[in-house]
Amino acid sequence: MKELMLGNEAVARGAYEGACAFGSGYPGTPSTEILEYLAPYEEVVVQWAPNEKVGLEVAMGVSMAGARALVTMKHVGLNVAADPFFSACYMGVGGGLVVVSADDPAMHSSQNEQDNRWLAKAAKALMIEPADAEEARWMTRAAFALSEEFDSPVLLRLTTRICHQTGVVNLEDPEPRPEGKYKKDIPKFVLLPGHARLRRHEVEKRLLAATALGNDSDRWNPIFPGGGDVGVITSGVAYDYVRETLPAASILKLGLTHPLPLERIKKFAASVKKVIVVEELDPYLEEQVRAAGVAAEGASLRPYFGELNLPLVEEMLLGEAKEKVTISLADVEIPRRPPTMCPGCGHRPIFKVLRDKRIRVMGDIGCYTLGALKPLGAMESCLCMGGSIGMAEGLDRFGGEGVSGRVVGVIGDSTFFHSGLTGLIDLVVNGSSATILILDNGTTAMTGAQPHPGSGVDIRGGEAPRLDPAEACRGVGVKRLVVVDPYDMDNFEQVLEEELAAPEVSVIIARAPCVLNESVVFAPAVELDLEKCNDCGLCIRVGCMAIRVVGGRPEILADLCNGCGVCADVCPEEALAIPEPAET
Amino acid sequence: MASTDITNVLLSGVGGQGILTAGRLLALAALHRGLDVKMSEVHGMSQRGGNVDTHVRLGETVPSSLIPRGGAHFLVSFEKLEALRYLDYLRPDGVAFVNRLEISPLTVAIKQPSYVDDVDGLLEQKAPLLLWIDGTEMARTLGDLRMVNVILLGALSTRLPALAEADWEAAIAERFAKPKVREAVGAAFLKGVEACPAP
Repeated sequence: MKELMLGNEAVARGAYEGACAFGSGYPGTPSTEILEYLAPYEEVVVQWAPNEKVGLEVAMGVSMAGARALVTMKHVGLNVAADPFFSACYMGVGGGLVVVSADDPAMHSSQNEQDNRWLAKAAKALMIEPADAEEARWMTRAAFALSEEFDSPVLLRLTTRICHQTGVVNLEDPEPRPEGKYKKDIPKFVLLPGHARLRRHEVEKRLLAATALGNDSDRWNPIFPGGGDVGVITSGVAYDYVRETLPAASILKLGLTHPLPLERIKKFAASVKKVIVVEELDPYLEEQVRAAGVAAEGASLRPYFGELNLPLVEEMLLGEAKEKVTISLADVEIPRRPPTMCPGCGHRPIFKVLRDKRIRVMGDIGCYTLGALKPLGAMESCLCMGGSIGMAEGLDRFGGEGVSGRVVGVIGDSTFFHSGLTGLIDLVVNGSSATILILDNGTTAMTGAQPHPGSGVDIRGGEAPRLDPAEACRGVGVKRLVVVDPYDMDNFEQVLEEELAAPEVSVIIARAPCVLNESVVFAPAVELDLEKCNDCGLCIRVGCMAIRVVGGRPEILADLCNGCGVCADVCPEEALAIPEPAET
Repeated sequence: MASTDITNVLLSGVGGQGILTAGRLLALAALHRGLDVKMSEVHGMSQRGGNVDTHVRLGETVPSSLIPRGGAHFLVSFEKLEALRYLDYLRPDGVAFVNRLEISPLTVAIKQPSYVDDVDGLLEQKAPLLLWIDGTEMARTLGDLRMVNVILLGALSTRLPALAEADWEAAIAERFAKPKVREAVGAAFLKGVEACPAP
């Protein structure tokens, strides 16, 4: 049966067909939808993990029990899970274990564009790379058996344009579940140095065997013979552009990209006059192809970073793009439309106060990172998940006059449960006096409102234990803790000053549900009295999409406004007001 | 299969306008016709009020999912500024369907203009062929602002001979299970068709 599926949906379908028993992960664009699409398959246990490392650890336990497991994350999530990932490659598996790394070339929704193919090579894992939604399905399905055959975790490496590409997928019936069971094997699963040294040999044997598979396999590494002098070696989404650019060329399409099938590559290279390697991001394939003695070109013909697309690949292979741009927009200045906090968002009043008080904000990853953008401009760092807390401690200690004592670490609730707790422990035990602000909206908002440990629901919408970040803070020794309403800016300002002045760690939790949450009830739109308005622009500086400027004067867009009242609070002329509720 | 046999439809607008659903319906209609189809979409950070684009490509064989700049046969824009931003994706013989709606990007200072002056004039001057659609007004009349996407698809369908009425009906039936919703969507689609009489 044929069906239209998003790449991520096809991965979930492949996992289901491949008799996967367990799925875990942490939300992160572009990987998030995989687990959401896996959840409806009732046969599979599916759960969000507090972070990627824990998700992979649970999956390793599942694998030791003999069942098949899938763990999903974005590329930087694999950095968090790198510790168990690297060692799992020494241990090997019981039931098949598939780790998804969804890379984000061009950084559509990410802080970097690291090419995680290097991590498969460094960890010595097997790696596969699908080129479209149908391949995402069958490769994921096949990955579990591959993992078991070679006794290795398999890294399923995706990129944004595979994850978020919709295409035609051929559904197949699921495989029967393998009858795996737990087997005690101390030398394999306890990586004491003596055991690990023995496992090291097994790792090399496995890679040799997988190389042999790659050299022989028309399924994983097909060669499409064609005409012309140029032979192209490619993988992943780059294959799509190559196929479209040179439909009749010789192509070696690599699906199993670690270990690389160098004999097959050499054989292919010998059959053509010139080899061009087309790949996205780093010259991962190209460097190894050249190191094997094959003369090849690649990265020198394309931008060294960012995404590929059809015109770029046409320039690489044909010398110029087929389609010409004929409509010029050079003479128009088109204002950018960057992402912004939603109208009514509880983060906005917090950043308004932090900006006005010139607080040094060490930020973190989530919707609230948008607090760094104009007109708020009230965040001065964003490093990694959980990074705000340690950075606040460091800057507070060494910032000197005007900085020390004026530093706040700002972190969301999902990010706090992901990797904030250990940072907070550092502050407590090392006697820091920094102030940490947890923005608690009850959800993982940026990736589309996935539940987290503080949400009280699971991935299928069922009831789950609800952890309170305040209790977690107290549990690790925080003595000063205040919960505030973010919309009450006067109170927040006062609490902030008190906590900044305190000589010990303090945590302020600003609690208000995410406005994307359907149960949030909005007030009617704010009304603007232009006769009272003196065009001072303070309401504009709050940075809300529901206020725009027409002819130098503010205007409220009633369709967008949900009456949070923050603009009315900042208006010195009382020109903005929430209307009195109508009689019912 | 050369790229000239592929029909490229670029949908653009602001996050939250129902653009993904429109792309999905178009892709489903193509699948019903027995065509190959690929679609590329945007999720994540840009959806927070940023501009979004969905690429839909249909044909006998569609190898890749992104439309090259200068290669779109049709641009279906849910908002005027987002029509202008993506206008250079159109081929010299391309057609732009533009919903009459202005959504200002976030304004950061009282002295900053919120929008482009004379956006209508710019679009009319630069587009090879431009069809204005009063999608938002029509949806308001129908009592459901979310119907803008279906109205725009109805308009597009009048210039897309590769897909027949039955393909669109099948797509709507697959995407909307509830008979009442399906009926409302079908009616909105027809409004779009009527708004765009064949040339």
